[in-house]
Amino acid sequence: MPAPPVSNASPRVSPILEFHDVTVAYGRRPVLWNIDLAIDDACLFGIIGPNGAGKSTLLKAALGLVPLAGGSIRFFGQPFAEVRSQVGYVPQRETVDWDFPVSVSDVVLMGTYARLGWFRRPGPRERDLARESLKRVGLADVAGRQIGKLSGGQQQRVFLARALAQQADVYVLDEPMAGVDARSQELIFGVLSELRDAGRLVLVVHHDLRTAAQWFDRVALIDRRLVAAGPTATVLTSENLERTYVGRLDLLDELGRAVEERGRTS
Amino acid sequence: MTGIAGTTPVVGGILPLTISHNTLVVACGVAAVGFAAGVVGCFGVLRRRALVGDAAAHATLVGVALAFLATGRRELSVLLAGGFISAMAALGVLVLLRRFSRTRDDAATAIVLSVAFGLGITIVSGITARGIPGGAGLEQFLLGHTAALTAADAWLLGTISAVAVLLLLLALKEATLIAFDPSFAAATGWPVTAIDYLLVTLVAVMVVVGLPAAGAVLVTALVVIPPVAARQWTDRVPTMLLLSGLFGVMSALFGVAVSAVVPRLATGPLVVLASAFIFLCSFVAAPDRGWWARHRRRSQTEFERPNPPGGDQSKPPEDVESFST
Repeated sequence: MPAPPVSNASPRVSPILEFHDVTVAYGRRPVLWNIDLAIDDACLFGIIGPNGAGKSTLLKAALGLVPLAGGSIRFFGQPFAEVRSQVGYVPQRETVDWDFPVSVSDVVLMGTYARLGWFRRPGPRERDLARESLKRVGLADVAGRQIGKLSGGQQQRVFLARALAQQADVYVLDEPMAGVDARSQELIFGVLSELRDAGRLVLVVHHDLRTAAQWFDRVALIDRRLVAAGPTATVLTSENLERTYVGRLDLLDELGRAVEERGRTS
Repeated sequence: MTGIAGTTPVVGGILPLTISHNTLVVACGVAAVGFAAGVVGCFGVLRRRALVGDAAAHATLVGVALAFLATGRRELSVLLAGGFISAMAALGVLVLLRRFSRTRDDAATAIVLSVAFGLGITIVSGITARGIPGGAGLEQFLLGHTAALTAADAWLLGTISAVAVLLLLLALKEATLIAFDPSFAAATGWPVTAIDYLLVTLVAVMVVVGLPAAGAVLVTALVVIPPVAARQWTDRVPTMLLLSGLFGVMSALFGVAVSAVVPRLATGPLVVLASAFIFLCSFVAAPDRGWWARHRRRSQTEFERPNPPGGDQSKPPEDVESFST
């Protein structure tokens, strides 16, 4: 296990995660323009924006899953390929076939595969780690169940447990709250807060403004471009939200609620 | 199926015959092919690439015919090597077609499949029409014909099958990972495309090796039907591989046995029918996923809704769990 380089006390030269002038295009159609963003400290960081704003694309670009048309992305001052093992990933739940014939603990064990390397099978150490990760997300009692037999919230927690089994320093989550019941949401945010408290950076693509104001330390508002970034209270202003969600009238309702919520919590 | 081992009459009383050493070796070889095809085919099915194997299968005919024309020989090893090369070429064309045209996957597969097959049929019938010596019998690769196999052929098929299974088992962890969640696999540093190519190549190998047993048209049944039937019975990949292999063995042996007893009957259709029967049984009778089990669960929940039975707790209520962090 690599020594965790994330510690609030130690002086650090480069930010944990830095997007420098990032542009991403699907074919000839640009979906993200000139994103400049640096995250210096361990925190719960939300990437917020309307549908089609390129939030997930930004994550995928950071993980090398979509190519950059321009700019660069660095973790701890290094390209992602160098620090892969330090980055845990929770993809969107709908990206996999939940009818696949694997059990809950099989999926969590997949978090240990990169460390195991080619052809080596998980041993007792990995199984312990998987069991512990499952316990943290409250699923210890369904470890042997086929993954399709879980509820949406439980499935999302399985993915979180798999990322925990990666024992990473940075966690990257793509819409972990989509289609997830309130109880699972609370549990997931609880685990993410623990990770933050243990000095990990937790980066979350999120769409619900209300819970965003409630949970994240810092947020970035994105609508193909970076609208604003910084501490949640200073970024989630009605002015910024209007700029981000401009022309998206169906979301005005949500916007109002978010602002109201922020007023209450701060 | 094990009844054909030994020297007892096969079809009781009607067609009394004893099993020669050659037939026995051929049966073992084809059984190995059935097993390996069932095992390797699982990942074609799980990765949702069932039709890719079919395109490869239909393309083998070109290579078989060209290998015969080029060498003038009819040894199985030569013909299958040709078949493998053309199958891989077809898969290459498929990859290029997807990458450089806007043709959708299913259409691209259909195009490659039919064009390659048309080409193969043309060459084979050309060879037959010109009466090139030794050329007769190439059409046996169309529907499969195990009766003509020698013991040496069977050893070749069995050895390749064993290697294919061993390779797959070696990379079982990696294959399962990329079949289940390719983007997680890619993000954690696995060469997803390379592993994909390995899996597709193994399917192509099994399709080629399965040619004598099932023929170019039907061999895909050996790599698709047993895995789908096996999936009905289990929720775990290793068990699925084993069951699928066993279903493959049963289907292949049925084809070999019947076509050995009834002269001039092609093996392929028999193999397909046998595996279709296994699939049907699995579809109806499998516990949990089978039609009968689901039907019973449904009617039970209707009658006993206030107090659901212990067997149907597939979706427990979230609220009864406890926070454990």
